[in-house]
Amino acid sequence: MSVYGVHKFLRNCLHDQTFRALAINDPETAMAEMPLSSEEKDALRNGDMAWLYEHGVHAFLLSFVTRWRLFGMSVENYSQRIRSARDWRNPKHN
Amino acid sequence: MARIIAGIGLPHTPVFPSLAANLGDKFEAGALYGAIEKTLDRLQPDALVMFSNDHFNTFFFDNFPLFAIGVADKSSGPNDETPMPAYSVPLDEQLGDHLRAASINSGFDVAVTQEFTLDHAFMVPWHFLNAKRRTPLVPIFIHCFSDPLPQAARAFAFGRALGDALLRYRKDISVAVIGSGSFSLEIGGPLAPPGERSGTPDRDWAALVETRLRAGDIETLISEATCERMQRAGNAAGELLNWLAMLGMLSAQGPLPEPASLHSQPDHGHAFGVWLAGATAEAST
Repeated sequence: MSVYGVHKFLRNCLHDQTFRALAINDPETAMAEMPLSSEEKDALRNGDMAWLYEHGVHAFLLSFVTRWRLFGMSVENYSQRIRSARDWRNPKHN
Repeated sequence: MARIIAGIGLPHTPVFPSLAANLGDKFEAGALYGAIEKTLDRLQPDALVMFSNDHFNTFFFDNFPLFAIGVADKSSGPNDETPMPAYSVPLDEQLGDHLRAASINSGFDVAVTQEFTLDHAFMVPWHFLNAKRRTPLVPIFIHCFSDPLPQAARAFAFGRALGDALLRYRKDISVAVIGSGSFSLEIGGPLAPPGERSGTPDRDWAALVETRLRAGDIETLISEATCERMQRAGNAAGELLNWLAMLGMLSAQGPLPEPASLHSQPDHGHAFGVWLAGATAEAST
């Protein structure tokens, strides 16, 4: 679990248009270019936003996936999944 | 000797420039920015000092300072694809260098960046307040956006140290100080409402912040604004630190004046506030 690699993947999608196109069109190759653990790759592939959030990925960067519908994430299904994440700020999940 | 003529607090919501362009006079926030732009047009500051927070654009986790000052003669933005015009930004390099050195001498180990672009946190205020006047800017970055946040007392003291330094500046210039951010805002996280990317999870906290600001009870606000309390109000609620640094800088010239105006937008968890300092306040009454 690197977290940093996930952050870098997401940030590069905004700041590097070549990488963004790769992430959209060939996400496996894009992920292979980043220092991601196998668990992180699985979570991205599966759109497991809650797992990524619970393991330390910053929600602002994570929500970038909705900008380009990466890994099938729309605002609607992203919202459903992120709201299911355990969060110390949300008493319902503690 | 330089002097502070105004302190200003306002949001930097990235969608606001496009909403203002589309809605015109019907857009309330546009009118609130416009009133502050008119105040600055009247005051004609020689420089702007703006406290705001980068959103992983100018800086990233490879090298992320808690406090940083931009010391250069120019910058540009936005660097984060915010839907708004692109601007070149003149900076006051000499003032930035003075503030950097003086803050380090005051015990704040602030970072420096000399080649950088700016994201919406600086450029949205620039768009509404300064795009026409183009008063030179000193951008000061406070990390407000991921744990652990700087302490509220530390942010205020950082602003105070910069204010003390400004009063010792060798040039006789007038400066307006801006702090930009929200009091309650969740972006992309579990506290955003269903079907939305962002929202205002804690209006009560935003209202309490407004109450403290209106009363000038900054000491109480600082004691209440723990990292945990701000995070409960949303993952961007630490942006209150930018306001506290602005007020700290203003406090270097004496007791804080009452706000000349303070208008909240509860649905957004933020406010627009103006404090006029010293002779500026007396001239306006």
